[in-house]
Amino acid sequence: MNISPTEAEEALTAIQGLMERTRHSIASSGAHVSLIITGIVWLIGFICNQFLSGEILSYIWIGLSILGGTTATILGIRNSKHIRNPSASATAKRISLIWLLLVIYCIAAIAVAYPIDGKQLTMFIVLFVLIGWMAMGLLLSFSSFWPGLLIIVMALVGYFFLSNYFYLWMGILVGGGMIVFGLYIRYRW
Amino acid sequence: MANLNETIHQPVRLRIMAVLVSMEPTNEVDFTYLRDLLEVTDGNLGAHLRKLEEAGYITVNKIFVERKPRTYFTATPAGRKVFNEHVAALESILKKK
Repeated sequence: MNISPTEAEEALTAIQGLMERTRHSIASSGAHVSLIITGIVWLIGFICNQFLSGEILSYIWIGLSILGGTTATILGIRNSKHIRNPSASATAKRISLIWLLLVIYCIAAIAVAYPIDGKQLTMFIVLFVLIGWMAMGLLLSFSSFWPGLLIIVMALVGYFFLSNYFYLWMGILVGGGMIVFGLYIRYRW
Repeated sequence: MANLNETIHQPVRLRIMAVLVSMEPTNEVDFTYLRDLLEVTDGNLGAHLRKLEEAGYITVNKIFVERKPRTYFTATPAGRKVFNEHVAALESILKKK
């Protein structure tokens, strides 16, 4: 079988492009979904926090959390069906246990530090979610690590330096930033 | 010098192998994932997957997920070997240019 150098070059370019797309697709699988959904929940929730007050905020957050959690779980399960690793069930159990421990830690830390104000409570939860998410990035794929780190830095800047606009900052820059990162991973990674 | 492999050189089959070889050997991908990534029709993809399976370059694993049949594909060690040899042969042609 003989082919010209031009044909060989075209074939190699196609192979390299596709291998790169596959690796990115596997590395980012699920990361963009959780980023976009968490971003939307935080964007709406924190903007409400900035401009509304009273009991209605609790209902908004409960509604958004249930909606966001359910959607992320359904989409995550749907995504995970496309790529399968028959020997990975033990890893999945360990990851679930790590998240369970993180949830226990978060509840315990809030209980120990209580009473805390709304901003402190927000930072506890945001830091817990993002650190857990970055740990998953280190374990599974590096793609979600760096956006997580940047969002933590942005959240801390808002907490320490922009107290009056904290919730607006968290909504637009942190929530919006997560949506933008999610879309970037989905379409450009 | 490594030889070009006629079965693998066909463009769709070459792209299928590129996807499967770039994954961990323990990972399997389903038909829908391959179809969407390669942007080919169901019939076209099915025919080329069958050729690769007959050549022993991929394995097909049919299982039930939530009572629905799902077909997963992975490259065999032989498939990975011939794909790497094919790539080496393409590179050597390019070096002679």
